[in-house]
Amino acid sequence: MANNSGLFVSVLGGAALVLGAAYGWTARDFRSQELVALTDRLSQLEASNTDLAERVEQKADLEEKISELEVSLAAALEAVEAAKSAAAAPAPAPAAPEPDTIVADASGFQFGDPSRGEEVFAQCRSCHQIGQGASDRIGPHLNGIFGRRAGAHDGFRYSDDMAMMGSDGLTWEIETLNAYLENPKALVSRTRMNFAGLKDAQDRSDILAYLRQFSASPQNIPEAAPTAQAREVDLSPEVLAIVGDTDYGEYLASECKTCHQQDGSDQGIPSIIQWPTEDFVVAMHAYKRQIRPHPVMQMMASRLSDEEIAALAAYFAQLE
Amino acid sequence: MKLNRRAFVGTGMAAASTLSAPMVHAASHGKPKVVVVGGGAGGATAARYIAKDSAGEIDVTLIEPTRTYYTCFFSNLYIGGFRDLNSIAHSYGKLASEYGINVVHDWATGVDRDAKTVALAGGGSVPYDRLILSPGIDFIEGSVPGWDISAQNAMPHAYKAGSQTELLKAQIMAMPEGGTYVMVAPPNPYRCPPGPYERISMVAHLLKANNPTAKIIIADPKEKFSKQALFEEGWQKHYTGMVERIGPDFGGGNVTVDPAAMTVNIDGEVVNADVVNVIPAQKAGLICDAAGLTEGNWAPVDGHSMVSRLDENIHILGDATNQGDMPKSGYSANSQAKVAAMAVRGALTGSRVFPAKFSNTCWSLIATDDGVKVGAAYEPNDEKIASVSSFVSQTGEDSALRKATYEESIGWYEGITTDMFG
Ligand SMILES: Cc1cc2nc3c(=O)[nH]c(=O)nc-3n(C[C@H](O)[C@H](O)[C@H](O)COP(=O)(O)OP(=O)(O)OC[C@H]3O[C@@H](n4cnc5c(N)ncnc54)[C@H](O)[C@@H]3O)c2cc1C
Repeated sequence: MANNSGLFVSVLGGAALVLGAAYGWTARDFRSQELVALTDRLSQLEASNTDLAERVEQKADLEEKISELEVSLAAALEAVEAAKSAAAAPAPAPAAPEPDTIVADASGFQFGDPSRGEEVFAQCRSCHQIGQGASDRIGPHLNGIFGRRAGAHDGFRYSDDMAMMGSDGLTWEIETLNAYLENPKALVSRTRMNFAGLKDAQDRSDILAYLRQFSASPQNIPEAAPTAQAREVDLSPEVLAIVGDTDYGEYLASECKTCHQQDGSDQGIPSIIQWPTEDFVVAMHAYKRQIRPHPVMQMMASRLSDEEIAALAAYFAQLE
Repeated sequence: MKLNRRAFVGTGMAAASTLSAPMVHAASHGKPKVVVVGGGAGGATAARYIAKDSAGEIDVTLIEPTRTYYTCFFSNLYIGGFRDLNSIAHSYGKLASEYGINVVHDWATGVDRDAKTVALAGGGSVPYDRLILSPGIDFIEGSVPGWDISAQNAMPHAYKAGSQTELLKAQIMAMPEGGTYVMVAPPNPYRCPPGPYERISMVAHLLKANNPTAKIIIADPKEKFSKQALFEEGWQKHYTGMVERIGPDFGGGNVTVDPAAMTVNIDGEVVNADVVNVIPAQKAGLICDAAGLTEGNWAPVDGHSMVSRLDENIHILGDATNQGDMPKSGYSANSQAKVAAMAVRGALTGSRVFPAKFSNTCWSLIATDDGVKVGAAYEPNDEKIASVSSFVSQTGEDSALRKATYEESIGWYEGITTDMFG
């Protein structure tokens, strides 16, 4: 359809040219211009028409899918009911473990207290989302992390080391997650995750109990309200919408590069390349308002305007 | 060999024509030419940024006599045994091969500011449209009576890194059991305000392991010094009873030395020492004075572009400058270099010029995994580069934070040396 209207335009445009030539260019230029403008408008209308038609079709498709899903949901509910009554008949089966009561995994690992784990997880939230609607940010989202192969979550750009560990067979299970959380760089030496590690075993077992709730079986992903998406600092939509000037960002970034390496390596100082721009902006404002503690970063951010922060975010986001 | 400007200009064309001058071209023809004197923290960064960001539009020549640059930063860590000498050595290979910079290993001996050429010790001269000087420091003669540069092997300064640093460490390692190390600390202003005190920490660290009954004496003309509370807390904690500092109230500013006898006279009291580390008073690298660009000991510059207040075609960076509030540090020189590079490109190729911003952070290591830092952000006004916000590590910080601070300094070292040399 789009092709057709393109053809249409060029045919009419051609006709306009022929007409223009026939009437003599000097006097009648404006007429052919008018004609071109009209044909343009016509093709625009046609295009939006097609668009509409496509959307109507999509809507029908979606409606169909929804009703299909409704049917399979009903079937699933029925199956669950059936299973329940079957289970109820003989001796009472052990209830599905509550989050708080998962005690040990087959390996003997003691899961801790997930609600305390949620508090410990606060320090992870500037990079990782979890729960409903979680998406990849500076780090990948952590829904379904248990059982996931390392470095294998689609669409996220991992460090080479993490990707290689994954293809060598590292899978996130209780032991590997526990070791990684204790000392990320001991397990994956050049991981981009710039985190010193949780040295306290209780912190780890609590946080793992919390993470466990967002992975499949034996528990379902809870329907808890999404909390991960709350921003660290309250920024107005206008501030978030500023489109950074990458040239200015490049100059400002020369100051960052005294410490942060352009190639993304991060010995002692985190990598800041390829962050989603919004996360970069939020992080810098968090330093500027002294919500994040690092004194060097607070000092750097303190004198950056909203535009300058946007410029830096835009520049670093596009570095290879 | 030192030519001052008057001498150079005064002898005029006659002198110029007697030099065998293979590289004299009229600088105004062809690509604009930038000459950078000194391949240290300021000069290497400026040369790299101009070459990188002008993508071949500007011809960049870097004049630096040494083939290997040893960073003063982290040279104290070498003394303490935390780095080897190789890890603080850098070559100019990448600046030449990857950035197309014409690296000339020679001394600049004078600047003809009218003809816009730099004279080289090896003969000849190099023309420029813009000149950048970042020659670091030289010592003020006579500032420590009894010491001059010919005594630097008996009483090393180790305030320009490399063989001096190696020598100082070797002397410390050779101290007799229970021997005495004396540092003659410099008056303000000098390169790296916490440098002498980080050095004391590293010397103490080395001696604690090898010669724990040895003594460390600092003769200091300054009442206060950078990060004083942090250093004194650290010395007390890690090196109890080892370090004695004699401030100006007790004659620490009234010192003479005798390199032949290896004695230090502190306000009339003669100390027999095994190692004497003399860090004399300092001034801008000699080339600044030779070019007539100094007022007093330092070269005044305008912080908006680091341009000399005495010559609009010459920018001066780093330790050699009098710019205002920034300390003389590698971090500062690197920060200033980027502002100058942008200004020079703007002037020569019309590229965009943004308002100057500067910053500095100096990390110091007190003992294993015990790092501290001090820093500030700066902006220029018409008078000077002024500090706009600052911070400093606190006494009593926990060991995890101190360790993280040290690790940060390792990251900074990687970052800044990559920023200088590519
Ligand atoms: C012990 C010690 C520890 C330090 N620690 C730190 C630290 O932790 N952090 C920090 O930021 N800073 C530190 N510094 C300070 C830092 O080393 C200097 O401030 C920095 O090197 C200054 O840079 P610059 O470009 O001005 O001079 P330099 O880096 O000294 O470079 C000057 C260069 O110019 C060359 N040169 C001089 N004259 C001529 C000439 N006539 N012709 C050609 N070339 C010439 C020299 O060979 C030299 O390579 C330390 C210094 C010392 C001594």
